[in-house]
Amino acid sequence: MRIVDLLKPEAIRLNQSIADKSEAIERLIALHDSVGNIADKDVFREEILKREGLGSTAVGEGIAIPHAKSGTVTSPGLAAMTAPDGVDYGAPDGKPSDILFMIAAPLDGDLHLEVLSRLMTLLMDEGLRTALKTAKTPEEFLSAIDRMESERFDEPKPEPKQDGYRVLAVTACPTGIAHTYMAAEALEKAGREMNYLLKAETNGSAGAKNVLTAEEIAACDGIIVAADKSVEMSRFDGKPVLSVPVSDGIHKPKELIERIQSGSVPVYHHTGAKAAVTSGQNESFGRKLYKHLMNGVSHMLPFVVAGGIFIALAFLIDTAAGVDPKEAGGAFGTVNSVAAWFKNIGGYAFNFMIPVLAGFIAMSIADRPGLLVGVVGGILATNGATFTDPGAVSTVPSGFLGALLAGFVAGYLVLCVEKLCEKLPRSLEGIKPVLIYPLAGLAIVSVMMCAVNPVMGMINDGMNEGLMKLHDMHLDVLLGAIVAGMMAIDMGGPFNKAAYVFGSTVMLGGALSMADPDVAYSIMAAVMIGGMVPPIAIALSTTFFKNRWTAEERKNGVVNYIMGLSFITEGAIPYAASYPLAVIPSCVVGSAVAGALTILFKCTLMAPHGGIFVFAVVGNWYWYLVALAAGSVVGMLMLALLKKKARVDESNN
Amino acid sequence: MVTKTVTVINAQGFHMRPATVFAGEMGKFSSKITLETNGKTVDAKSLMNIIAACIKCGAEVKVSCEGEDEAAALAKAVEMIESGLGEA
Repeated sequence: MRIVDLLKPEAIRLNQSIADKSEAIERLIALHDSVGNIADKDVFREEILKREGLGSTAVGEGIAIPHAKSGTVTSPGLAAMTAPDGVDYGAPDGKPSDILFMIAAPLDGDLHLEVLSRLMTLLMDEGLRTALKTAKTPEEFLSAIDRMESERFDEPKPEPKQDGYRVLAVTACPTGIAHTYMAAEALEKAGREMNYLLKAETNGSAGAKNVLTAEEIAACDGIIVAADKSVEMSRFDGKPVLSVPVSDGIHKPKELIERIQSGSVPVYHHTGAKAAVTSGQNESFGRKLYKHLMNGVSHMLPFVVAGGIFIALAFLIDTAAGVDPKEAGGAFGTVNSVAAWFKNIGGYAFNFMIPVLAGFIAMSIADRPGLLVGVVGGILATNGATFTDPGAVSTVPSGFLGALLAGFVAGYLVLCVEKLCEKLPRSLEGIKPVLIYPLAGLAIVSVMMCAVNPVMGMINDGMNEGLMKLHDMHLDVLLGAIVAGMMAIDMGGPFNKAAYVFGSTVMLGGALSMADPDVAYSIMAAVMIGGMVPPIAIALSTTFFKNRWTAEERKNGVVNYIMGLSFITEGAIPYAASYPLAVIPSCVVGSAVAGALTILFKCTLMAPHGGIFVFAVVGNWYWYLVALAAGSVVGMLMLALLKKKARVDESNN
Repeated sequence: MVTKTVTVINAQGFHMRPATVFAGEMGKFSSKITLETNGKTVDAKSLMNIIAACIKCGAEVKVSCEGEDEAAALAKAVEMIESGLGEA
């Protein structure tokens, strides 16, 4: 029983001018009558006056609480008035009363004693009295009481708290704006009335709120799923689950709770993959970050795999069609029309990789409102838009590192925006998820990425110059190691880009006069091998160090052989994103070793792309293979050192 | 300090009217008087305090008095409660 459940906003009149005690009583009774708490006004008035005859119900501190138990009370309730000028109610301290509550209680039970006690406990707080006196609307008045009641009585579950929630519920509707919340409210209210503690999770458009924890699920009697769209069900495996349309949650909550209580609801057995469980507070921040990251990575993987294989096929087809990679240059993979089809379609899929990564990281953090912000942040990271060059004509992308930043920052920013919007009036609730969050999120993330991208561009320019200097100093083995290592640092970001652009520029030779043109071709060879080592090193690791990886990671590892051999460094991104501190250093070292060996072995490359498919134009290709193998093995061994074993529960499922 | 534990016998417990009377009587003593019930200790001279404690019929109440007239205060309090606060 809560005060706010007994007191309807229509039964509150604020800032009234009341002449005397009898007018106060008359008007409070009229309020009870108007909201239907009493059947007969005259009978109730008689009871109230009889009680006042025994002594005033003013209790001091400006408070009066007239009350009566009567058979004419149809629904126990409260009515309230505030009177700034006060009314003489015969208080023990002689002061006029300015806050008046009238209790209408049925004959049986201790309800009026409990309400009285609770009301008094609340009203002893001077802050609340002031808040009530200054409230401008009945809603304000009620919310002040509600806040104090939650604070003092620790929500409506003081006693049952030890028992935890008996029934859990999940509510969801396709639009997620109104029905979801109405059903949750109806269910929780019915639970309170039936004294059967119920917690309802709302899967609305603003994301899941009041999420059920694994402990609560384990302890409950059963779960009501009142939803018109799919909700995460694997967590309910082995518990009685009652699935009904969301409208049942609104219209017959008591019936649903009774069915759970009766024990006749069948136990639910989940088929299919298990999703991550939501545990309570005991999840560390690091673990949460990892979960968000993995949400992004797992959604990104299909794009990487399918797109990457299409691109590899394109190279294969061009090779089979007898295209000369040297002549084709950057167009290799698109010369034959079938190859071009595969290359383009694969490219489209591939281009979603980074936005999907960022989008699903943000969605994991901030739920649905995070998706747009993350995806757009990701795309801005891929194309490198800046304030002065929003079309990203001549800019440098911040690549996957930028996208990681975008995903996390976007997610937490949206959470902040949601927090800020809590103060907005309830009437705006509906447009928050469809208008306010997306708009504010988009504005913030685009400003952020446009600020980050030029920094990446400057880093890129600086590196280009540095590499040129090394080249001028004829430190070619070191140069080979560095460009190859750079390819592995960010796999598509500024370092990778700088190395690749440098390699292909040098190779084309136009900008440089070289003492020995083979050195230029060697550098290109080093760049390419640097991009091939990371996926292969990871693939080898998933083959030879199985205990380091989860089942899913091992399965995808095979694909990385193809990726690596096709010079599609991005195959390593899911792994680098999941375990950056282990994977990135290992790949960089492996690539650097391979790059240095390439120069030492005087291997050359006259095509800017294509991996194993352009080995026909690699000078000393057998030594090139040796360098590739050596670098990959070094990478794999280092990864084995740096990467801890996978958690048992993950590697076994 | 003197104390005594008594049981509330009137059907409605310490609702507002008996609480008003009780607090009024206690206010006449100079001793510090408290009621302890349900793990809560409240000032017996404060009407709001007593009502907030929600003392129902059958509740065990420990009355404690401390001061010059503590014995008289305790006797009065016990007598009032045991007699059903004028309602039994």
